[in-house]
Amino acid sequence: MFQFFFKYPIAMFSKGEFVLLGSWPKWILPCLIAACAAGLAFLIHSRLKQAAPRLNIWRAGVVWLLESAIAGLLLVLLWQPAIVIAELKPQQNIIAILLDDSRSMGIMENGATREAQAVKALQNGALAALNKNFQTRLYRLDSHLTQIPDLDELHDASAPATRIGDSLKQVATETSGLPIGAIILLSDGADNSGGIDLDTISAMRSRRIPVHAVGLGSERMPNDIEINDAVVAPRALADSRLSATVTLHQAGFAGRKATLTARDGEKTLATREITLAADGSIQTEGLLFNAGEAGAKALEFSVDPLPEEGNRANNSVTRLVNVESDRRRILYVEGEPRWEYKFIRRAEDDDRIVQIVSMLRTTENKIYRQGISDPKELAEGFPTRAEDLFGYQAIIIGSVEAGYFTPAQQDLLRDFVDRRGGGLLFLGGRSALGDGVWGGSSVADLLPVALPNKKDTFHRAPAMAELTPAGADSTICRLVDDPDRNVERWKKLPYLMDYQEAGTPKPGAAVLAEMKAGSRTMPLLITENYGRGRTAVLATGGTWRWQMSQPLGDTTHDMFWQQLLRWLAADTRGQIVASVPNQTLFDDGHIQLSAEVRDKSYQPAADAQVEAHVVGPNGISAMVEMNPVSETPGSYQAEWTAEKPGSYVAEITAARGGEEMGRDVVTFQRMDGVAENFHAEQNRELLERLASQTGGRYYGPEELSKLSDEIPFSEAGITVHETKELWNMPAVFILILLLRMSEWLLRRKWGIV
Amino acid sequence: MRIPPRVSVALSLVCLTSVLIVLRVNGAQWFGGDGPEYYSGNSNEKAEFYWSRLRYSPRVGQGGGYGYGYGFGASWSRDYPKADRQFLMALRRLTRIQARSTEQVVDLDSDEIYNYPWVYAVQVESWSFTDAEAKRLRDYLLKGGFLMVDDFHGTADWQNFMEGMRMVLPNRPVEDLNDNDEIFHVLYDLGERFQVPGEQYVSTGRTYEKDGYVPKWRAIRDDKGRVMVAICHNMHLGDAWEWADTAEYPEKFASLAFRVGLNYIMYGMTH
Repeated sequence: MFQFFFKYPIAMFSKGEFVLLGSWPKWILPCLIAACAAGLAFLIHSRLKQAAPRLNIWRAGVVWLLESAIAGLLLVLLWQPAIVIAELKPQQNIIAILLDDSRSMGIMENGATREAQAVKALQNGALAALNKNFQTRLYRLDSHLTQIPDLDELHDASAPATRIGDSLKQVATETSGLPIGAIILLSDGADNSGGIDLDTISAMRSRRIPVHAVGLGSERMPNDIEINDAVVAPRALADSRLSATVTLHQAGFAGRKATLTARDGEKTLATREITLAADGSIQTEGLLFNAGEAGAKALEFSVDPLPEEGNRANNSVTRLVNVESDRRRILYVEGEPRWEYKFIRRAEDDDRIVQIVSMLRTTENKIYRQGISDPKELAEGFPTRAEDLFGYQAIIIGSVEAGYFTPAQQDLLRDFVDRRGGGLLFLGGRSALGDGVWGGSSVADLLPVALPNKKDTFHRAPAMAELTPAGADSTICRLVDDPDRNVERWKKLPYLMDYQEAGTPKPGAAVLAEMKAGSRTMPLLITENYGRGRTAVLATGGTWRWQMSQPLGDTTHDMFWQQLLRWLAADTRGQIVASVPNQTLFDDGHIQLSAEVRDKSYQPAADAQVEAHVVGPNGISAMVEMNPVSETPGSYQAEWTAEKPGSYVAEITAARGGEEMGRDVVTFQRMDGVAENFHAEQNRELLERLASQTGGRYYGPEELSKLSDEIPFSEAGITVHETKELWNMPAVFILILLLRMSEWLLRRKWGIV
Repeated sequence: MRIPPRVSVALSLVCLTSVLIVLRVNGAQWFGGDGPEYYSGNSNEKAEFYWSRLRYSPRVGQGGGYGYGYGFGASWSRDYPKADRQFLMALRRLTRIQARSTEQVVDLDSDEIYNYPWVYAVQVESWSFTDAEAKRLRDYLLKGGFLMVDDFHGTADWQNFMEGMRMVLPNRPVEDLNDNDEIFHVLYDLGERFQVPGEQYVSTGRTYEKDGYVPKWRAIRDDKGRVMVAICHNMHLGDAWEWADTAEYPEKFASLAFRVGLNYIMYGMTH
């Protein structure tokens, strides 16, 4: 229709450049148009009195407007308007047609698979029309790109992955010497590599190759539940409580009940019933479970399929968690014998991972040490050397004043958190926090609170603990698995034996629990991340009453302390920290192994020998040397490829001068053919963005026949600049006719013919 | 209005009785020769540590009296409160424990005892428990409380003590503490100890009472091997604390008694 009125396809107008071919100066055109309009105005105005009352002022205005428009249009035509556009030379350019052959293209919709619909659209004249003016090259697109002689070479949508970006880059590379005029991509846009990167777009744009995207498939799957993601800490301590955040969306089951489950192999770790949210909206659910024994674990998070569900393969995801059993040693410095000290130690007696090493000032001149591994440990008091202090993963400062530590030791405390990445917990007490003058120390910055600028902040009076919303979500404060029951459990805890005014939480700090003493409400447990580590304040020395005042066998007190101290120490890493960008590789085994290496003082070690020992399925074993990253001292990297699907463990070892500095383990997995089950609906947004960024257009499959008319207007390949005159467009004559007829009809009506 | 003589006498008796009861409850005593300095402590003071003395019901036929010394039916309150307060002076002076200067009497008939995780009991050969009291003491110990028992002597006292103890912890063995046990080293090294006699030593020169010739340092432990009941049998540490300020009572006994008490408290606050 558009082409009938305007003679040319719409793409020509959007891509071409408007010009006036007339040899007369262009500035004369607006002048003449203005002069004509003025002349017509004068003429109509001069005859206004004669024609009155039939021709009043606004009718005269309409007549003037119509006649001026006709005059202006005719003047524009005199200047010969045209479009200049680059057009592919017939029979000299190649059109690359990329047809998605991945598994998601095999989904049945309206009685045919997406791939069958694409093939049918091509065979119904579209391909033949392209072949009239261009050479066409057919490609099968899945995890890589393969040229095929004809459409029969497709694999019935059986490929396990789609990598659109990589495939486009491959086309650009393979055809660098060929005149590619355009790329036609027929796909549902379900890309498994996480999108199309800027490099791919740049490669297309540098050669000015437009990518025309033909979108296939429904934009919303009917009757489907899909897990978008499951976020869980990649490392955990054995027997610790782990929380997972599962996001999902669904269509067709709004308001229905479903079961969310976490499994470790055959063992169910946690399960809970959820109510499915509105169609298409992202829903977030939490699961809490025990990490169990040490080892590399593949945890599966799933929503049990509902009976009407079609695609059930997208109901579960797998995440790797490396459960560690390395002991965490916490240094507890206590300034006076008190019950809190005893009961914290007793709580950790049952924890086979966390060990408390304590130094207690029993008299003015005596320190009683417990949990030491060597008679010399802490024999001289609080460590004065970084390598001694940094051997611990966390520190607890009890009722001990800041002045007990030398300025150098206070600096070490800061470095312990900031540089070493350790955890630091301050307890309430009569010589703690504000009453211990910590607010005026160099450690004050580390605290998650601004301490009150006064003394006598410690009170031996009852206070009731209460969870905040942040605390309700925290694994530190989770005494009961069910979140609502947990809040109620906290409300029923016995009162604390004492409390301390901790001041104001700093921006960025999280208040997990508050306490009420009389009419006052104050922060009780405050946490914050600082540098590479974390700090916390527990503004009481009286949680021991939770142990003594509850029925025998109640684990509340011990569980709270075990969880708090595990949070404090669990993320404190060793001298070697190994990492990978993604723990799960979909269909492509390429991975970058990284390691941060530090010496005993936790300064970056740039001169270490670092290597990774990778062990994988079917006896795969490889030693990979890791190279230093020049711009980041202490960082080392290596590229490696996991050839086979399965789980891999990489143990990274660093040595210096023949002496081992430490080692760390990182796990990852390669999963082939899994990603195709997710995001099976058409990703129109990705296809439209790709087309618009490369100068192409997005088409529905029913619009495929238009391609042959619009595709020639491209600046890629071998082109010629064509001038398309516009004066003879039917639309111009129709417009003139309409303007003239309108004026005549109006004059007839008003009786001024 | 004129009050009849009989009513006046009755009222006077009631008032006198009330004063005596108040005096008793507050730890005062109306016999004996202790000076007023032992009662000058502030019982309203709030502290981390409260010296807690266990008040129990004596078995039938045993004393339930009150006061210091021996020979007068004392039972749970033997040497009370002078021994307690003199010990607290040492505790406050020699350690960093913030302790109240006065003692705290605790009973097994309420959960209030759970606020005092360290408790001292004397003349435990005379103690007796109801089932509820025995359960409360058992729970107290298993949850982390610490019990020190003192001042009972000889075979018969031991059997009587164990009769009550078996109601509390029926199946826990009693063991002799060896010199290397941590409880003898937590604050002072007390590898070498001797029998600490009661005040009778001053007049008789005997360090023992009844047939308790050899001091027994014993204990009952919890599942993790921590001492939860420290048993001082055939000795009288409480008397040593009480009479430490007299010239006649030998310093070496008082010194060891104080050190043992301090070690037991320090152990109870750290294990």
